[in-house]
Amino acid sequence: MSGASVTAEPPPKAAPPEPSEQGRSRYRTGALFLAPAFFLLGIWLVYPTIYTIIRSFFGQSGYLGTWVGTENYRTLFTTSTLVTAIKNSAIWVAVVPAFVAAIGLIFAVLIERVRWSVAFKTVVFLPMAISAFATGVTWRIMYQQDPNVGAINALSRSVHGAFSPAGVLPSAAPSTTSLQQAHGGAMVLKTPLHPGGVALLGLTGIAPQDLPKGAQQAVKPAAKSGAIVGTVWRDFKPGGGKPGVVERGELGIPGVTVELKGSSGKVLQTTSTDLNGTFDFATVPAGTYNAGIGAATFAHPFGGYSWLGPKLITPSLLIAYIWIWAGFSMVVLAAGLSAMPRDVLEAARTDGATEWQVFRRVTVPLLAPVLSVVFITMIINVLKVFDIVIALAPDSVQSNANVIALAMWRTAFSGNNDFGGGSAIAVFLFLLVIPVLLLNIRRFRREI
Amino acid sequence: MAAVAESVRVPPPRESTAAKIGRTVAKSPLQILLVVIGLLWLVPTIGLFITSILPRSEITTTGWWRVFAHPSLATFSNYSTLFHQAGLTSALETTAIIAVGNTALVVVVGALAGYAFAWLEFPGRDWIFVGVIALLVVPLQMALIPMFRLYNTLGIGGTTLSVILFHAAFGLPFAIFLLRNFFIGIPKDILESARIDGANEFWIFLRLILPLGLPAIASLAIFQFLWTWNDLLVSLTFSVTTLNVWIFDQFRQFSQSIDIIAPASFFSLLVPLAVFFAFQRYFVEGLLAGSVK
Amino acid sequence: MRGSRASRARAARLTAVAAVLAAVLAVAAGCGGSSNGSKTTTTSANTSVSGSVKFWGIWSAAEQTAFQKVIAGFNKQYPNVHVSYTSKGDNIPTILATAIAGGSPPDVADVAQPGLVKQLVQQGNLKPITYAQSTINANFSPAWAHLGEVNGKLYAILFKASNKSTLWYNVPVFKQAGVAAPTTWSQLLSDAKTIKASGTPAYSLCASSGWTLSDIFENIYLRLWGSAKYDQLSTHQIKWTEPSVTKAMQYMAKIIGDSSNITGGTSGALQTDFPTCVDKAFANPPAGGMVLQGDFVGLEILTATKAKAGTGFNVVPFPAITAGPDAQAVETGGDLIITFKDSPAIEAFVKYLATPQAAAIWARLGGFGTGVRNMPASVYPDAITRTTEAPLLGAKSVVFDLSDNQPASFGATTGQGIWGLFQKFLQNPSNTSSIQQQLESSATAAYKSGK
Repeated sequence: MSGASVTAEPPPKAAPPEPSEQGRSRYRTGALFLAPAFFLLGIWLVYPTIYTIIRSFFGQSGYLGTWVGTENYRTLFTTSTLVTAIKNSAIWVAVVPAFVAAIGLIFAVLIERVRWSVAFKTVVFLPMAISAFATGVTWRIMYQQDPNVGAINALSRSVHGAFSPAGVLPSAAPSTTSLQQAHGGAMVLKTPLHPGGVALLGLTGIAPQDLPKGAQQAVKPAAKSGAIVGTVWRDFKPGGGKPGVVERGELGIPGVTVELKGSSGKVLQTTSTDLNGTFDFATVPAGTYNAGIGAATFAHPFGGYSWLGPKLITPSLLIAYIWIWAGFSMVVLAAGLSAMPRDVLEAARTDGATEWQVFRRVTVPLLAPVLSVVFITMIINVLKVFDIVIALAPDSVQSNANVIALAMWRTAFSGNNDFGGGSAIAVFLFLLVIPVLLLNIRRFRREI
Repeated sequence: MAAVAESVRVPPPRESTAAKIGRTVAKSPLQILLVVIGLLWLVPTIGLFITSILPRSEITTTGWWRVFAHPSLATFSNYSTLFHQAGLTSALETTAIIAVGNTALVVVVGALAGYAFAWLEFPGRDWIFVGVIALLVVPLQMALIPMFRLYNTLGIGGTTLSVILFHAAFGLPFAIFLLRNFFIGIPKDILESARIDGANEFWIFLRLILPLGLPAIASLAIFQFLWTWNDLLVSLTFSVTTLNVWIFDQFRQFSQSIDIIAPASFFSLLVPLAVFFAFQRYFVEGLLAGSVK
Repeated sequence: MRGSRASRARAARLTAVAAVLAAVLAVAAGCGGSSNGSKTTTTSANTSVSGSVKFWGIWSAAEQTAFQKVIAGFNKQYPNVHVSYTSKGDNIPTILATAIAGGSPPDVADVAQPGLVKQLVQQGNLKPITYAQSTINANFSPAWAHLGEVNGKLYAILFKASNKSTLWYNVPVFKQAGVAAPTTWSQLLSDAKTIKASGTPAYSLCASSGWTLSDIFENIYLRLWGSAKYDQLSTHQIKWTEPSVTKAMQYMAKIIGDSSNITGGTSGALQTDFPTCVDKAFANPPAGGMVLQGDFVGLEILTATKAKAGTGFNVVPFPAITAGPDAQAVETGGDLIITFKDSPAIEAFVKYLATPQAAAIWARLGGFGTGVRNMPASVYPDAITRTTEAPLLGAKSVVFDLSDNQPASFGATTGQGIWGLFQKFLQNPSNTSSIQQQLESSATAAYKSGK
């Protein structure tokens, strides 16, 4: 664009300066109209930007303080919490705008065909009205790891349970070293057995209320020739008792599947324990055997994903954030879709293109300006994320969930009062946003 | 004054009932899918509400969905405790003052500037406009430290005015962008004939531009109101206790305040939700102005 | 112009929003508001002192309600002094720092860290409260009054104290396991093993709140090495890389090292904050056998669970480790009242807080400990509280919570310093030397910068 003669799209051209009285008064009017805006923008946006850039080269406190050169920036890239913040923010920028745009687009396309689209749009857009802080609180409640408390893990547990159901005794452990825990959770009695042998499989770590119904006092069965007998029981009485010995007050565990393994390790027979915990492999040919309990009995119930743990905290935050902004993207894209010229689409359809081809080759390119609005808005917003992280992430993972805007606030305002460091982070944030600025300007100039 | 022809939308042609039923049946799977998605989307908010009506011992040990099987667990005692907490009322008032105040300021100043960029002539106008657009991306983090110091020097630290001015300033670039783009769509003849009739710019602004620009102004006002009502960072930095800051202050180690935080968070949704429901239409129009031509 | 129908619709919408706003404000205002407008009673009310006191405190929810009653008691004596209390939660060190930097601190505040008090005095932000000296001397032991002094001058009162050297246990769990409440360390470990065998994890940890882990460490260190060495570590006269620290951490690893003996496992504990771990240990069915935290656990059990004193829960002092005079030493934490300004109203309020009357109001409600002399233990509402708070009354030898005595960035900041590093230690309890080094470097940096 060349200097003074700028063309704007609808009518008014900026006329060359008029020497007339009317012209001068127009300039004065213009100045008057703009004065309040320039006042606010100058003091709150322009001055702070310049000040912060300069301030970032100085020390912790004071209006300017002592010159430290690029030390604040060096700290920014070497302190682990800050580096994590940068990494996390990069993840946010890479993931959120793309997902928000995609989900919004899918929703926008789907609801085009439906009558009650306004209701759907309202529901999906609703989170935009909620403060990010309240959203953080809301999702934190849902992400609790304990499947009894956290909605998402409760759902995952049901799904998991359908495929790999929990065992009857998930928390059990052997009471003596003669019962060994094999890989995968199965337990095998070390001492080999022969017909006429008695196997004692004592277990601890079982709360009395978790015993299967009807459990009775455990009994050590008498040896039977030609058979292998034994007991599976809760080897615990108040005070502990003697491990490995069936004592008064210790209950047998009914309904446990006991496996008899041959010397090759193959499971030859299985049987189930009685109410007093005893089991009986009635006819056993001569040989050496091992008794054990299969892994399925000890399968842990799904303990829940650690959504609020260090590894998953950022994905959890991303999900909550996308939940907020998908509505915005959907509404904008839906409006863009409805403004699209139908004849182009019809022409493509009559030319024999499939719906998918129409979508890919015609719809999406026509939506490009609107999509870019969504992308640009999301990138700017994502870099400013603050409240949702503070509210959603428990204290123990705050350092894992750190993002740039939060790191800046912490450095400058939360106890450390390191204004030099805080300014450096703010400047860094600004630098990240500048490419977006240039995109914005280019887009705008194309429209002028 | 010339009347403005309202843009009228042509309603779609009426279909026969049979065709309608046919279409509905064909779309059933889609409808079901959308209903499911819609319900899922509501789950977190419903969860927050139910958490707020459960006693603390239930919240920390069992899932809130149990309430559907045991409705008797629900109680509104958390809310009555909440409203007896000192400081909530004044936090609410402060939030309202800040939200309304800065919105009004943004609308007035933004409209003035938007009109100037749209219809007043002066040298370099479009370049300056580009400059204002550039300011759109300045993150408010850039201004926190300098304004913190400036406010303290001027002695207005901790006042609602300091927050109002801050929000207004940062709302301006978008406001100016939005309103300028909308005002430019006003037919030139209206303005020209008014000027020929001898009207000065202020009259044109007040009597023509503002009324015609009402849809965009309304959208802008709603956006700005919501955004500043929901803000935490700015008020927290300038030590002004808004509703969100008040809730943030309830996070406490020694006594878990989920029975305060949950009702307070849900309560803090109500005003933005009310505003949103009342003015939904303007959201879409506002988002469109300046993004889709 | 818009058609009249559209403008009516818009007007209707505006009215609706205004109505909601008004309703919301009305409901909030109806019940909300101050509770310090009490009637003057026949006891002598001082009407000559007037003014307002802006108080920022840590206490929220139930504690806030209790403190409002203390304010009401104050207003019986000084009806013309308006005290406004605002809760800032545990963000208080941050919020105070911001407010001070911004030139607008409150009049009075309560903070939990003597280290922070020291910092504020060094920065010249606090006003001394020497006008309350005689009141304090009359009501507290010299050791207690000393806790509020910086460089020999009185700047703070330890108003609300807690006994942090307690161990709370689930009575039915212990009974079912057939173990008695532990009095010694070895008993604690063997009890824990037996409880695990009985089917319940022995320890319910609130590891998401890092300070709970540091409290356990501090109790172990205190009982292992005595109060003199504890004080040395507390003032960073000995380093965190010392062998004494190593041994204490190894002891601690015996508690936190077995993930299967922790409620929710290690990862579950790291997501469980205080007081949720208390709720879990005393839920039905219980998810844990013991909670190794201070007296504030009692209030939580009573308000949030159905367990009853004696039959559902009970408390014993933290087990002894090394025999000697400090075998049962008490580690206390507490809330220190500090002032940023001075006025007759503020002085009256501060002096009131140092009286037995003020302490008694909250003591009767539970969840409160005080070192007031000559206070009968019967002021506490139940046997449990009497057990935990009696050691404090007129206490002659107390140590302050170590982490609270550190500069804030080391001792009282989420996710870093002592709090954050002990969370890391929980994740890898064999990693003592690396954690010790990080503790030492974090402490050194904090002491150097004075923050």
